[in-house]
Amino acid sequence: MDPRAIEELLPAYAAGELSVEEARRVEAALEGSPRLREELARYERLFVLLAAAAEQEISAPEGLQGQVARRVAIAAYLGAAANLAGDILGAYGRALVYYLGLA
Amino acid sequence: MARARGGDRKAFSELVRRHQTAVYRVCYRVLGDPEDARDAAQEAFVRCFTKLESFEGRSSFKTWMLRLAINVSLNERKARARPLPPELREPPADPSGPEDDLLRKEAAERVHRALRLLQPNHRAAVVLRDLEGMSHAEVAEVLGVPEATARSWAYRGRQRLKDLVT
Repeated sequence: MDPRAIEELLPAYAAGELSVEEARRVEAALEGSPRLREELARYERLFVLLAAAAEQEISAPEGLQGQVARRVAIAAYLGAAANLAGDILGAYGRALVYYLGLA
Repeated sequence: MARARGGDRKAFSELVRRHQTAVYRVCYRVLGDPEDARDAAQEAFVRCFTKLESFEGRSSFKTWMLRLAINVSLNERKARARPLPPELREPPADPSGPEDDLLRKEAAERVHRALRLLQPNHRAAVVLRDLEGMSHAEVAEVLGVPEATARSWAYRGRQRLKDLVT
């Protein structure tokens, strides 16, 4: 297997995503290549950092649900107003609503 | 879900309550800024409400919702391109010891800053795969691309991230 193909497998190897056969091929290539071993070490450090970032607790900000509810109410009102204008004014109304970006 | 699809705003608000953390978290991880993430999450939910009738249930609601959140985050609220902070290039401390809350926080911040420098599709793939813990198949479903494409984006993103932070 050419060295470039092995190099492309390194992140998946570090993440434990390879099949047994693929992992064996990577390990065989690693034995003979200090450069590949250094690259693997860098990916391993990256995955330590990613794991730390993944563990970070991130909560929705206070009040998000209420802010969404208000914006949804406005969107629903505008949608209803657009439909009403369309009904009352017919094709011209619908064109106007489309032009104004209300629907 | 059926009531929310019928325009019941109370039922929709319950959907928001259930999914707001996951949606906000993905927006934050893609955008790297709490205010941008809050705006993007709001926009994604409003868009969800107006498009809910078109949700056909071919994927789970959460997958569909996260796709909206990613699209809003990537396409309409692009992360501001700031210069790479010098500390990003310092060798990372290993945040896996026992008394390391601060180190973990610093490591996470460093990853978030570096993520902003990735191409948007690559960033989304890394966020979903390596931070949200999805399988490549799930990443592909959320991003609406073939699994091979999702794998390739994750590979490119990891490669660039490795060059930035290690």
